[in-house]
Amino acid sequence: MTERIQLDPLEPWVEIKTTKQDYQNADPKLLETMLGQLHLIRAFEEAILDIAGEGLVHGPAHSSIGQEGGAVGSIVGMRPTDAINGSHRGHHQFLAKAIAYVAPQLDVTNLVTSQVQEVLQKTAAEILGLAQGYCKGRGGSMHLQWHEAGALGTNAIVGGGVPLGAGNAWSQKRAGTTDMTTSYFGDGAVNIGSVLESMNLTAAWDVPLVFFIENNLYAVSTTVAEATKEDRLSGRGLGFGIPSWRVDGMDPLAVWHVMQEVEEHVRSGKGPAVVEAEVYRFFHQNGAFPGSAFGYRSKEEEEHWRSRDPLDKIANEMIELGLITQEQVANTRKQAVAAMELVALELLEPDLDGKPGARKIKANLWPDAGFVDVGLRSDLSELAGAKTLEQDSYTGETTDIRFVDAIAKGMDRQMELDERIIILGEDVHRLKGGTNGATKGLQDKYDDRVLGTPISENAFAGLGGGMAMDGRFRPVVEFMYPDFLWVAADQVFNQIGKARHMFGGQNPVPLVLRTKVAMGSGYGSQHLMDPAGIFATAPGWRVVAASNPFDYIGLMNAALKMEDPVLMIEHVDLYTQRGLIPADDLDYQIEFGKARVVREGKDTTILSYLNMVNITKEALDQTGLDGELIDLRWLDRASIDWDTIGESIKKTNSVVIVEQGVQGTSYGGWLSDEIQRRFFDHLDQPVQRVHGREASPSISKVLERASIAGLEEVVAGLNLVKEGFGKN
Amino acid sequence: MATQIKLPEVAAGATHAVISSWQVAVGDQVVVGQQLAEIETDKAVVELLAETAGTILELIGKPGDEMEVGSTIAMVGEAGETAAAPEPVTPVAEAPAPPAEAPVASPVASPVASPVSEPVATPAEPVQVSGRQRVSPIARKLAKDAGVDVSQIIGTGPSGRVVRRDVEASVANGTAAAQPAAPAAASPVAAPQAAVPVSTSASKELASQEYSSTYSTVPHTSMRKAIARRLTESKSTVPHFYLNADCKVDELLALRKKINESSQVKISVNDMVVRAVAAAFEDLPEANVVWGPDAMIKYESVDISIAVSTDGGLLTPVLRGVEKRSLSNIARTITDLAERSRAGKLRQEELNGGSFAVTNLGMYGTSSFSAILNPPQSGILAVGAAGPKAVVVDGEISIATIMSVTLSADHRAVDGALAAQWLAAFKARIENPLTMLI
Repeated sequence: MTERIQLDPLEPWVEIKTTKQDYQNADPKLLETMLGQLHLIRAFEEAILDIAGEGLVHGPAHSSIGQEGGAVGSIVGMRPTDAINGSHRGHHQFLAKAIAYVAPQLDVTNLVTSQVQEVLQKTAAEILGLAQGYCKGRGGSMHLQWHEAGALGTNAIVGGGVPLGAGNAWSQKRAGTTDMTTSYFGDGAVNIGSVLESMNLTAAWDVPLVFFIENNLYAVSTTVAEATKEDRLSGRGLGFGIPSWRVDGMDPLAVWHVMQEVEEHVRSGKGPAVVEAEVYRFFHQNGAFPGSAFGYRSKEEEEHWRSRDPLDKIANEMIELGLITQEQVANTRKQAVAAMELVALELLEPDLDGKPGARKIKANLWPDAGFVDVGLRSDLSELAGAKTLEQDSYTGETTDIRFVDAIAKGMDRQMELDERIIILGEDVHRLKGGTNGATKGLQDKYDDRVLGTPISENAFAGLGGGMAMDGRFRPVVEFMYPDFLWVAADQVFNQIGKARHMFGGQNPVPLVLRTKVAMGSGYGSQHLMDPAGIFATAPGWRVVAASNPFDYIGLMNAALKMEDPVLMIEHVDLYTQRGLIPADDLDYQIEFGKARVVREGKDTTILSYLNMVNITKEALDQTGLDGELIDLRWLDRASIDWDTIGESIKKTNSVVIVEQGVQGTSYGGWLSDEIQRRFFDHLDQPVQRVHGREASPSISKVLERASIAGLEEVVAGLNLVKEGFGKN
Repeated sequence: MATQIKLPEVAAGATHAVISSWQVAVGDQVVVGQQLAEIETDKAVVELLAETAGTILELIGKPGDEMEVGSTIAMVGEAGETAAAPEPVTPVAEAPAPPAEAPVASPVASPVASPVSEPVATPAEPVQVSGRQRVSPIARKLAKDAGVDVSQIIGTGPSGRVVRRDVEASVANGTAAAQPAAPAAASPVAAPQAAVPVSTSASKELASQEYSSTYSTVPHTSMRKAIARRLTESKSTVPHFYLNADCKVDELLALRKKINESSQVKISVNDMVVRAVAAAFEDLPEANVVWGPDAMIKYESVDISIAVSTDGGLLTPVLRGVEKRSLSNIARTITDLAERSRAGKLRQEELNGGSFAVTNLGMYGTSSFSAILNPPQSGILAVGAAGPKAVVVDGEISIATIMSVTLSADHRAVDGALAAQWLAAFKARIENPLTMLI
């Protein structure tokens, strides 16, 4: 007979309901402020649906009508320095935070102050895609950000904002505050990896993040019960050791009460909390028709939930308590509706060519089309006046060092100088400097600035992204192998890479991502990619790669100073190679956007990077070709050295791009395209390429070698170029 | 259906020619006008150009092979097509095949034994069969800048693409401007190069030397290489000997002056020299011979090569039947040949044949020089400048206008005495010019 021991979760799981008593005890100003926010948001959403109904909202307008109670109840008590982010359905959270920021207390007899009016107009303008919007019209309905107010940005990727919220929360705590971050997401997101990974990570590190689930019972048309067995979604927290609350989101005061308990837990440094607020969107996912019109729910169900409207709930409780009259409630509504009519007047004008009463967006409010790429990256003013060095002209004392030791040594020096630098990644804190020794000695010296993460790339990459967007710390994230970028792809590309531009081009994302190419190490199909091509074609990222320790230190120093996400690519084959670095100066940078001409020549221009630079040098010796070998170093579209490349091509009239990895995701693809467009008239033959084969490298030593480019392939590539010279 | 590429009759009456090199490989795409091979006869080195676009299916002749004129040397067709066996007999309709030579498939041509085994084109190379000329962007630009007609340049890059170096070579040699494809392969001639020490070993020595001063290198054109090869061969394998004579040309100059006063065609000294050469051969027809491997070839008419300097190099169009031509006819014809040489408009047959050559550097003030024979010709007359000199006539020193000529002769064909008689006959004609007019 086996013995059975009952096990319990580490943390409690409770549901909170209000009683009449709670309303009686509630601060009347709190209730009034909640009523005011609820009405402002409701009127706003109705106006947006009207405008959308006229076809004036380009793209979706995800209405939150019916769901306002969760957002208002949870945000009304927050500090201005607390932060929130949200999902695609985030108007209500954004407005609650923004209104609370400009008007912490609302007076329903004078509801719409000029500041509140401005919030309503700028938010509406953003949703319409207009220049005066918070994100200059780039974000629209799904990407609303107002950093100053603590609105970190809503997110169109389900669950995508949660790791970023975790990063913001980490920074708040690390900076010594008791502020917290609340990340709002829906029932659909609760089964998404980045949410669950973030629950695990924030719990492990006691990060002050509130996971706020707005359970509106439907992911578009799929019910929660269809999507998951445990449809009490706050139950998710228990598996990660996170205390969890469940509350009726149609009762804003109940939500406020839950948040009082949550704040006590989270602000005291005990880690995250999970809140599930049950709410109901009165309309379909998108637009002004109810869900019943689409047949996935009944009119009776909708009627039932409408009778629990949070606006009525607060109003009725207040009327019952004698805090307000029916007429005053109606007047509150009237003020909110009038405010939105004013907004519409500011943004829209009669469309005389349309049907009677038709409106159109005032033409002068659109962003200038020339703004399309503005602010995609930093203007690099942060690098102004930086001290730069080049090994070819450096005359000082030098030290001979292994490449991998130079990584650790350079980072040690910068961590000493810049307390903001935080390293995070798998095993970076153990094994004498991670799996390869690149962070050797750093944990001993800097302790909690070197963070070994759980194996959850999406969560820790996103956490780094959130830290970067907060700006108080400089995350240096390590991916043990480049292929893991696919695991974290949402955070890396949709979030980190796009955030600055998507939210208006104003808020930088300074993050360094390190990873090592491992072709030749036998790690097989899922570990051996070269990420350069993928990152170089992804907007927002800068990409650097060093072929020697001297350049590595200089490039890393520049990367750490830059206000952009920078990928630093390393290579296992280089780690053991030795090189010279300045003996007593580790603070120099490699000049921004400057390639290095490793070897001058007149026959052909060879563009390469990383380990292939040295291999190409050897190949040139073998073929006797007088090639001009250029180590690109700065690989991305915005940083690449077109001057040096162009000068060389104009001299040689031929180019070969040498890289090691597979063809499909290769780096040279975009580069050859750009070269033929820029230098077509100077070319004497097609842009030649050296790269690996189509399939990802296999484990088998023979097959791995066959799939990647090495010395023999570079020699063959150079011979191909030679053939292109003709026979004269 | 694969097309046979046959060895052309490079020089009139030639029965064989050597494939000196292939410019294409099996699997290559060729376009019309693209160079396929360099073909060499003892007369000339010509570029064999494609008349059919397609994929090279088979190369039957190997570099260095001497093959019969009219034999199939390559097969061109659609990629992937098998090279069908060459048709055994050339259709009667095809005139150029010399009647004496039954153009039976060359013994070398054995398509079964040499299957198309090389991998066809690299995957990166788009398979395209068209008559379009391929020119790299920079080559097009450079040609335009240099005012060179790019369509006249033979591309040597992949798929016959005209590449930078082709344009540079053509600009350096002036071939593109002056030469359409066929005459560019004209037989190089000896004379003016005589003083230039051109030899392969010397070139190698030069190339290997370290120079302290800066210099630039100009890659050899195939024409330049052919000149070098043929002159080296001539000077080192043909036993030359030289005879000098000073010709008194006062009468000739006076006669010329007189003729030019009334003639519409201006007669040059050189025209009269050419006429005198023909007359000398009339006097001594036994000297009009050429050394052949098995027999001496005796010529009935006097066909004389005239050296014409062009931007691309030397050309030697042949003036035929000179003995039957009047002075004015000679003058007109030489002018025409020279003009068309410079314009690149010579026909191939105008470069073929000739048993003797005349080269004249008198216009540069050269007083006398010795020329290298233009194989297989047995004689070349090098003409220097005419000028006043002190001469002894009847024991008295007087002044006469003297023109020095040097005859280079092939001792295998012409002995010293015969050469001396011929030179005496020439001198007699030049010094008594009226005899040339009869």
